[in-house]
Amino acid sequence: MNAAPTVKDIEPVKADPRLKLIAAKIKKENFKPDSLIEVLHIAQNAYGYLPMNVLKYITKALHLPPARVYSTVSFYHFFSLKSKGDHTCLVCTGTACYVKGAQAILNEIEKTFSLRPGQVSTDNKLGVSVARCIGACGLAPVVVLDEEVQARASTTEIVEKINKMVAP
Amino acid sequence: MAKIIVYIDDKKLEAESGKTILEVCRENDIEILTMCHLEGITDIGACRLCLVEIEGNNKLLSACTTKIAANMVIKTKTERIKKYQRITTELFFAERNHVCSVCVANGKCELQKLGYKVGLDHIRYPFLFPQCEVDTSHEWYVLDHNRCIMCTRCVRVCAEVEGAHNWDVMNRGNQVRIISDFNTPWGESTTCTSCGKCLHACPTGAIWPKDIVQGQLNKNPGMITELIEKRKLGL
Repeated sequence: MNAAPTVKDIEPVKADPRLKLIAAKIKKENFKPDSLIEVLHIAQNAYGYLPMNVLKYITKALHLPPARVYSTVSFYHFFSLKSKGDHTCLVCTGTACYVKGAQAILNEIEKTFSLRPGQVSTDNKLGVSVARCIGACGLAPVVVLDEEVQARASTTEIVEKINKMVAP
Repeated sequence: MAKIIVYIDDKKLEAESGKTILEVCRENDIEILTMCHLEGITDIGACRLCLVEIEGNNKLLSACTTKIAANMVIKTKTERIKKYQRITTELFFAERNHVCSVCVANGKCELQKLGYKVGLDHIRYPFLFPQCEVDTSHEWYVLDHNRCIMCTRCVRVCAEVEGAHNWDVMNRGNQVRIISDFNTPWGESTTCTSCGKCLHACPTGAIWPKDIVQGQLNKNPGMITELIEKRKLGL
């Protein structure tokens, strides 16, 4: 059996300013175990995903069983254990967007960047995902690039914008 | 506790308020099928086998999580309930890969007994045949996801009785799995005390000791109930 996560697991993260945010939130919530979701929220927003050492830190700080934390993280779609990429491209595949050619956009993205929904490029620059419906059917087909909604997206335009977004 | 009058299966019974329907039924020898219930640990109404009909309520309610109330008219053996019990049982078998003939729990399995009880002769639903892992990393025990029915008795026993909380449930829908710690192999768990209570709590052959073969599993869930009672009495 392995030893419990020690300070060593936590220490490398301590130099990270993002961890200060999490630590502040935990303190504000008075180390209450039931503030887990709020704390995870802050962590997810700070990192874009939930790295394992951060999860271990939160587990220790809130005195929660590791399994409970992992179960919470895997239950909610908002939390992810893998990086979603520095930049994200979310293609809506709801009925309206589908009819208006969301699949063509996805195909073009796959052709140009060799990324399928749910995948992240090897340099972690771009992540592609799909949503069932983002509730903007009047603007179909909708693509969301880094939280910015692209209404009535055309295939070429989207590829161009992704290129610009990913460019250093 | 105040005594109240309830009617279960057309019988007038005296019950204590604050108890669940399941407790009252068991006290009066009225049979209710259960899977996720284990005397002493928190009931969560996960298996949906203990559904009962309550007059004035269109919905079927789980007996283990519904508190009894005065003048409740409860039916436990209607055609509708029997139909649902059968469906639930069939879905248990269709969800994972349950093969009794090679299972350690053969003959002592609560799921198998349930199958006999509801008269299961065939399953109307397509089998899902999911790819399930078998975790043999623990020194003494094995966790076989193929035989798990997600009753979460092991989770609750570990958290409530042992206090270790090694187990929990990850994901949702048909992707749910019992996990140890951060979805790490059981043998690498930092919280497991290897007490073996989960093994006794498991109604099927999903958790078993390594030193036994087909049909040899002996479980004693009553031990857990006894343990809880003894603790309450402070023995």
